[in-house]
Amino acid sequence: MISAIYNFALTTGANRVIRGARIEHVCGDPTLSPEKDYAFGMRIVTSALRTLTVAVPGPTLFDPMEAAHAS
Amino acid sequence: MGSPLRVVHYVNQFFGGVGGEDQAHVGVSARAGAIGPGRLLEKALGEDARVEATLVCGDNFASEREADAAFALGAELDRLKPDVLVAGPAFGSGRYGLACALVCQIAQAHGIPAITAMHPENPGASSARRGAYIVPTGASTTSMQAALDVLAPLARRLGRGDALGSAEVEGYMPRGARRVHDRGRPGYERALAMLLDKLHGRPYRSEVPYAPPERVSPAPPIADLSRARIAMVTTGGLVRKGNPDRQVSANAVRYHRHTVAELESLSPAEWEAYHAGYFNHIVNSNPNYILPLSFLRDLERQGKVGRVHEHIYALPGVSTPVAVSAAHGRSIAEDLRASGVDGALLVAT
Repeated sequence: MISAIYNFALTTGANRVIRGARIEHVCGDPTLSPEKDYAFGMRIVTSALRTLTVAVPGPTLFDPMEAAHAS
Repeated sequence: MGSPLRVVHYVNQFFGGVGGEDQAHVGVSARAGAIGPGRLLEKALGEDARVEATLVCGDNFASEREADAAFALGAELDRLKPDVLVAGPAFGSGRYGLACALVCQIAQAHGIPAITAMHPENPGASSARRGAYIVPTGASTTSMQAALDVLAPLARRLGRGDALGSAEVEGYMPRGARRVHDRGRPGYERALAMLLDKLHGRPYRSEVPYAPPERVSPAPPIADLSRARIAMVTTGGLVRKGNPDRQVSANAVRYHRHTVAELESLSPAEWEAYHAGYFNHIVNSNPNYILPLSFLRDLERQGKVGRVHEHIYALPGVSTPVAVSAAHGRSIAEDLRASGVDGALLVAT
């Protein structure tokens, strides 16, 4: 689950929670230039896909902006 | 003093003195007066009440031949015309609990108020049967007297034609029915009183029942993303432009499945957001923000993702009850599983 309200998302039973940008633009940021907006969205999406390839013990938060989780 | 309250008591083959499991197949019979625990019931009901008859039925008969049991019980109740029917208590016995719930439903269908008692985890107490008044009991017959002490006064009131108050006041299991009433004090006073109790470590009870979300076993990881089929789901209220499918903007009673097989990206000319819970305009200029098709296609082209699944699923999550959301989720998951999808991204707003 990609969500900007990530703390709440962790309480819903979702086991792989990826921090999204903002509620109104979860996968990107329109205030950035089109290139940077797309790169940001891509970082979030690839982080999310990466979580599908790792085992998790229970609800776990992944932050795309942390180096370990970035593509 | 009015006429004595006429009660009919329902018991299974064991409490009816017919026999144990070996007699669980027996059909419905009626005996005059109270039998076994019915005598304790009669005593608990008080001076002006009589257990006029006891209906006995085998637990297996009631569960395996429900229609026959229902017919026979209905016929007996029409004949006896009691003021109230009391079934059980069934405690932890599952088939007995189901039979008690059944006979209460039948009684109510025949215009006779009915009440039963069983352990809260008895299958007979499950939500499908919750139209009946069910008093919670312990798991075993050792709590018989305690159960009758709660059950009997409620049975009397039902038999006299009184409506019962709320579950929390009267002591029966909540039936999920809502009735508007006045709590006597404004909400802000009650909220502050509750907060003070909480801060001082005093007991308090929430007016809004809270059900913690269930834990879900994490799905095992995908071994190779480059060979995986990935699907996308959103609760951001994505709809085709103009909302031709007439999706609602909140409290989704259904979700919509769309085909994106021919699409490289979600275009604002063809898609928009219709969701009452957030400012939709940003997604309207780029729907990929809530359903990242453009990114997935890019990764598919690069060989980093095996296949982008041709179907996407969308609904407005806001104000959708948890139970409804869970049903939508199960349905979508079944679809995905049947299509050989390996993993899914769910974007929530």
